[in-house]
Amino acid sequence: MNTILFGILTILSLFVFINLGKIKASKKQMDRDDRINWGRKRKSNVRQNRDGSKIIEGSAEEINDEDKK
Amino acid sequence: MSKHSALNTFGRSGNPAFTRNFENTETYAQSERMTLDGAVNKTAILLALCFAGAFAGWNVPALAMPGFIIGTVLAFVTIFRSPAKAGSTAPFYAAFEGMALGGITVFAEMQYPGIGIQAIGLTFGILASLLFCYKSGIIKPTENFRLMVFSATMGIALLYLVSFIMSFFGSGIGFIHSNGLFGIGFSLFVVGIAALNLVLDFDFIEEGAERGLPKYMEWYGAFSLMVTLVWLYIEILRLLMKLRSR
Repeated sequence: MNTILFGILTILSLFVFINLGKIKASKKQMDRDDRINWGRKRKSNVRQNRDGSKIIEGSAEEINDEDKK
Repeated sequence: MSKHSALNTFGRSGNPAFTRNFENTETYAQSERMTLDGAVNKTAILLALCFAGAFAGWNVPALAMPGFIIGTVLAFVTIFRSPAKAGSTAPFYAAFEGMALGGITVFAEMQYPGIGIQAIGLTFGILASLLFCYKSGIIKPTENFRLMVFSATMGIALLYLVSFIMSFFGSGIGFIHSNGLFGIGFSLFVVGIAALNLVLDFDFIEEGAERGLPKYMEWYGAFSLMVTLVWLYIEILRLLMKLRSR
């Protein structure tokens, strides 16, 4: 009984793997912003200037002193 | 600020079997590109070879140790030396590792009859259910997910290495091999981590096919899946043996 039950589970699982494996993943899975970045090097947003000072890339924001008042 | 604060702090990390080969992606002709069909077919070939090796190991258990050593060497060669030649090394890896698994299963079967087919059924059951969870988007692998799985995998590898070295001096880390609650809990944790590694394998293959990587990456993806399946099978067998020995 043990052999039959687990044997059927094995064959069924292999059948699912071979068929489901060839189908593309769902849109929910593929269209995500937080997908794993396989092998692509993550760009740092900090660069170094020739004089050793650091340049932080990003959008500049205007500081308005009058807002604080 | 990136969402992946752990990555910003510790840098990008990942299983060495996955990280080395996605750089310098060039454009390949349609027939030279990796596909999902190709990767699944190659995994099926490797599984067939593994079963053939297991048949030999089952009948001649003395093949287990040489099979394990040669298989491990081939795995390291494939990962660190020649991923592009995975098409030549991965089939041999599967056959030799199959011999090792066949031999190990015979010893387990002698102590606990029927345990081998249970371990095989559970391994493939986990494979199919996790594949469904991945394809349907129930489990979403992210960079933090990969970092977590990789850290846990490396932690387990280190623990096994320390335990292995200590065994030469007549000592060891007792709880990881015991059949007490702690030992079974540890085995459950290891099985869980091995299973989560399968999700990373699926994502690796899926993205490789999407980005049109070279054809040999089909073999490499299939090889990665085999490495994880072999590990998962051994851990499930250990867990079942602990449970049956109580």
